Amino acid sequence: MKTKRHILSSRLDGKYASVWVSVLAVVLTLITSGIILLLMGKNPLTAFYSFLQGCGLAPKANYGGGSGMLSDLSDFLNYLAPMLLASLAFIVGFKAGLFNIGIAGQMLLSGFAATVIVGYNRSLPAGLAKPLVAVIGIAVGGAAGALVGFLKYRFNIHEVVSTIMINYIISYLTGFFINNHFVDMLTRTSRICSPESRLTLTGVQIAGVNCKVPFGIVIALIMAFAVQFIFERTSFGFELKAVGRNIKCAKYIGIGVGKSLVLSMTFSGVLAGLAGVTYYLGYTNTIIPKTLVGMGYDSISVALLGNASPVGSIFAAFIVSIFQQGANYMSSIAGVAKEIASLITGILLLYASCGTYMKMKAHSVILRDASREEQRKEEET
Amino acid sequence: MTKVFTDGLSFALPLLIMAVGAIYSEKSGVTNLAIEGFQGFGAFIGALIAVLLMPVMGNGSQAVIYIAMAGAALGGGVYACLHALLCINFKANQVISGVVINILSVALTAFFTSSANTAISGTSSNKLILGVSTRFSVPGLSDIPYAGGLFKNMYPFEIIIIALVLFFSYLMYKTRFGMMLRACGENPQAVDAAGGDVEKTRWIAVIISGALSGIGGICFAYSLLANFSPSIYLGYGYLAIAAMIFGNWNIGTTAIVCLIFGFAKSGGYQLCIAMGLPSNYSDLFLMLPYVLTMLLLIFFSKKNHPPKAAGEAWDKGKR
Repeated sequence: MKTKRHILSSRLDGKYASVWVSVLAVVLTLITSGIILLLMGKNPLTAFYSFLQGCGLAPKANYGGGSGMLSDLSDFLNYLAPMLLASLAFIVGFKAGLFNIGIAGQMLLSGFAATVIVGYNRSLPAGLAKPLVAVIGIAVGGAAGALVGFLKYRFNIHEVVSTIMINYIISYLTGFFINNHFVDMLTRTSRICSPESRLTLTGVQIAGVNCKVPFGIVIALIMAFAVQFIFERTSFGFELKAVGRNIKCAKYIGIGVGKSLVLSMTFSGVLAGLAGVTYYLGYTNTIIPKTLVGMGYDSISVALLGNASPVGSIFAAFIVSIFQQGANYMSSIAGVAKEIASLITGILLLYASCGTYMKMKAHSVILRDASREEQRKEEET
Repeated sequence: MTKVFTDGLSFALPLLIMAVGAIYSEKSGVTNLAIEGFQGFGAFIGALIAVLLMPVMGNGSQAVIYIAMAGAALGGGVYACLHALLCINFKANQVISGVVINILSVALTAFFTSSANTAISGTSSNKLILGVSTRFSVPGLSDIPYAGGLFKNMYPFEIIIIALVLFFSYLMYKTRFGMMLRACGENPQAVDAAGGDVEKTRWIAVIISGALSGIGGICFAYSLLANFSPSIYLGYGYLAIAAMIFGNWNIGTTAIVCLIFGFAKSGGYQLCIAMGLPSNYSDLFLMLPYVLTMLLLIFFSKKNHPPKAAGEAWDKGKR
């Protein structure tokens, strides 16, 4: 006889266990945050639906002039691009056993460098400026990541501590330069970058409504499949994974552990750098001084929810982005503080990090049921 | 010059109490990167209690501060149970758990601060205004040239922290419980064989860690910031962890490192004022503790000896 518990356990123990763990994490998160909303006297279903409406995935009741569902959807994709790139950055480090908590800092540094070098250079044509922005993002992010890897390998500094310190240093340093040289006196943020350098085209008319065309989402999807390919099909990816699984074993079979650590952090930094330029010269066109984006941490939720798989993280980034991007509209409809988006992401992260325990528990339930079944058969015969 | 000592001490002591919390957790064998989250959550609970009590007990009543500190310790301790549950019972990766706890703490406090503000005062501010604690000077001692700054304009919580640090270093180094706790971090199998309960000891250690971090957090809220807002997540929890690493997981040495951090921070700030630089430049000096941490880590990280069993979930059947 198969009980509900048994079916759930066999799902969590089977071939697609990781997928089921993520699905379960999402379901548990929706239940938990639904309870929180109920306790606050709000209707959770309305709230969840308005998240979708805010992202252009469901039609709103009414739209302002020149905008429509498609413009919300293009906004959503514009946000999804840096989110996906940032979570790929975390995954690359994570596979090699490194926790890159410094994604927000690496994003800020590369975004700042690209804004100052290309964004304020009005003479560059779009065809030259856009690739240059991406190249600067890759170079600056990669260098920042490599530094962390080097510190870990050469001086044995835990990357969580060093990336946090570097985050604050970058935040204050760029804040200092922006406040002194590049500030817009009116908005107190950095002056906006030129439209030629921005990786998102704005004000494009599609089907009669104003839309944005983000190039970032193309880059992000290509990178997701590239990262998947590298880890599944190349010896470089295999070496990184080997270092992540068991560093002593990797050393024993002759993998250059130091090289792998530095390379994986560099690669992680490259992706964070791309995320930075698509965020600061795409999703927005200005930098708020001394502020690290929450996306750096949200990307960790995405990566863990996607089971550290690049293709899985496409789906995970989609889900997390719905909450983050739809929060403003949800807040205006349901009257809940928009900080609840981060809370939901945090709860999601909490459940996703219990994945190992869920699998372990399911496995033990199955073993116990199997032994009971055997006992019953023995008694019968 | 005296100001360097005064400000330095009031920064160093909350840092120290958080570092002691971190030491307790790590010495028992649970890697603890969650200090930042513990201190923020503890400070939030303390601040919430203070904001609720202030109208009842009258503004400016100093008793509120002590109740808030107790509340912060309680809040931090309760929140730490989550880390203990994940690391000890669920056997999750302890570094991931720490990061999760920190992120969740930022989200929880930000959301509930604005919800609480809406409920209490009807405004949607993300700050709980606390004000600054009163200060006092020790008569006699504060008149000593230069070093007298250590005894001038002290916050009352500094005395409490010193007492707590002394008590907890006695507990760790001079009692049976402390020895068992340290053994759990070095060789849990031996503790088990000797009849000790490894999981229980680690639970207690993590809860102590949360409570002490909570106290550190509310002290920062009452001195540096004068309010509770998401800006309490300044990375000082990580500074405490760094101090613990240089201090080689030893409370005495860690105390010295914390003092160095404190004096470097206040010294840099006073230098900025003395050089007559415009206020824009203060950003560069706020960077100092982080830069100093990086430099110290580069020079001291190779030599230290972390507890052997830290970072591993305890497996009774393992040899």
